[in-house]
Amino acid sequence: MIRKIAFNVFAWGIVLAVAFPLFWMVVTSVKPQFELFRRPPTFLPETYTLEHYWRLLSQTNFLIYFRNSVILSTATTLTVVAIATVGAYSLVRFRYRGRESMAFLVLFTYLLPSVVLIIPLYLLLVSMGLANTIFSLVIAYTTFALPYALWLLRSFMAGIPEDLESAALVDGATRLGAFRDVILPQLLPGIISTALFTFILSWNEYLYALVLVNSDSARPLTTGVMNMLVSSFNIEWSLLMAASVMMSVPLIIVFAFLQSYLTRGFGAGGVKG
Amino acid sequence: MAEVTFNGVVKSFGSFTAVHGLDLKIDHGEFVSLLGPSGCGKTTTLRMLAGLDFPTSGTISIGARIVNDIAPGERDIAMVFQSYALYPHMTVAGNIAYPLKKRGIPKAERGPMVHKTAELLQLTDLLDRKPRQLSGGQQQRVALGRALVRDPQVFLLDEPLSNLDAKLRGYMRVELVELHRRLGRTMVYVTHDQLEAMTMSDRIAVMEGGKLRQFAPPDVVYTEPANRFVAGFIGTPAMNLIDGTLSSEGGAWRFDGPGISLSCPPLADHADAGPACLGVRPEDIAFGEGPISGVVQVVEKTGHENIVVVTLANDIRLTGRVPAGQYWHPGEAIQCQIDVGRAHLFAEGPSGVRLNRPAVDHGISLSQHKAQSSG
Repeated sequence: MIRKIAFNVFAWGIVLAVAFPLFWMVVTSVKPQFELFRRPPTFLPETYTLEHYWRLLSQTNFLIYFRNSVILSTATTLTVVAIATVGAYSLVRFRYRGRESMAFLVLFTYLLPSVVLIIPLYLLLVSMGLANTIFSLVIAYTTFALPYALWLLRSFMAGIPEDLESAALVDGATRLGAFRDVILPQLLPGIISTALFTFILSWNEYLYALVLVNSDSARPLTTGVMNMLVSSFNIEWSLLMAASVMMSVPLIIVFAFLQSYLTRGFGAGGVKG
Repeated sequence: MAEVTFNGVVKSFGSFTAVHGLDLKIDHGEFVSLLGPSGCGKTTTLRMLAGLDFPTSGTISIGARIVNDIAPGERDIAMVFQSYALYPHMTVAGNIAYPLKKRGIPKAERGPMVHKTAELLQLTDLLDRKPRQLSGGQQQRVALGRALVRDPQVFLLDEPLSNLDAKLRGYMRVELVELHRRLGRTMVYVTHDQLEAMTMSDRIAVMEGGKLRQFAPPDVVYTEPANRFVAGFIGTPAMNLIDGTLSSEGGAWRFDGPGISLSCPPLADHADAGPACLGVRPEDIAFGEGPISGVVQVVEKTGHENIVVVTLANDIRLTGRVPAGQYWHPGEAIQCQIDVGRAHLFAEGPSGVRLNRPAVDHGISLSQHKAQSSG
């Protein structure tokens, strides 16, 4: 009994430790400026205000960064999922020389630290004339999201019985038709969780965005907000917190809707059958 | 006319050859089983016929058309898979309608066709269900329905009954035979279950190690196995196979093995003196008296008959089948006798050929055989 209580207290302790900064973020974003630095700090705001949100939306580039992030993450997700789906299909269904080693090489690129790749990638993008564009970030994010997506979808694909596709072929479908009619619907949970992983990854990415893009028109939220609100002399805490809340909200909404698919994604490939 | 012909078909996967030069001609409307132990190449053969695998060399024809390079969907075949392979995201109706849809049959015509098939297989109440909501037997019927709805030239069935329980399997065997009789279509049935092959087929193609070992009607496969492999594979309990020596004295053949010595039935011209193998079906041994002596090891009661296992000299085992009333205690000494007229002789080696003089010509086609057996 005592052990059970102790375990519960421990678990709740961890939950609180993780949740408190999020709570503080929300609370800070709705406190008026004068209440922010009061000592002792107020736990819940005495007066609620949305002035920081208003300032953020009307007086800063926040909406541009937000738009950039949406375009960037969506484009990356679509590219990665499209390539990973056909790639995984090829790795699972077709037999050719070097199939297994190719799969491992792909994973190997994922194991390299980003810092190692970032400078060569930057030089490459500059020489291609793509530096400082959203598109350059789409390419960069695809390079590190694709290997993982490919492996995730590969394990999903391996779980789809080959007989299903054979049956569709005998029933008169072309290979592409069988892929569309039979494989894709079966792969949907895998595709959704892969898309979610990729979206979250590109939405939160900071390092590549910092190095590859330095104009406001192409900056995503992560670097944009930091650049705008954090300087050597001053940190705009209230705006920063409001921006953080607004950055998190889309992810939380998407996550809440698709959570069940995501947990299925974590389990994929762990146990066969 | 949809006869199916395999002409020198070889299938290799890398250095492994799954099917070695298969020659097989299946008549129009015939029910043929490909029977053999796992890994004998029977499923590979079926998949090549379906167009899901491609022969390394040789040709496969359906009717007059060589189908080697023709896509599965254009071969006018239907296939039932061992796993049923029902599309999980479609309803029963959707599954059955899929082959029609893929062949461009308008939606208005599909409905009645699906309903007709569903009625035939008693699936009408299940049309709106998803496959996962069905029992194994129901799923199996849906898989059959998907094959039947289109009235193809050739039906391919890959161990369709192996996932059902024994009772349902027996029921479905009868249903399939009835279906074949009604449709009159060519059916190729892959199984490792000899009971299924024996009870359902017009002819059985027994395969081993990628080679065709015999292709004949079930009774011929049983009474005149073409070689030692078929002899040992067909029949439960298996045929007794005893190694010994064949000798000839003044035109009469003798077989001598450990504890057994007998004069042989008429042998074919290719029989030679030397090492050979005697095959005796369990029902062709009479116990009680006779020249062969042994010790009863065990008597298994199956209800309608008893299986007697007797140990002879050199630890040779002889299995016999006797009526349920006959019983001996383990350890008891026993005499027995082999019905020489029904004994089989094979050349030495695991696939030694049959040496008996043939009673039926194995080269005959099904129609000839049917005419013979009815006449």
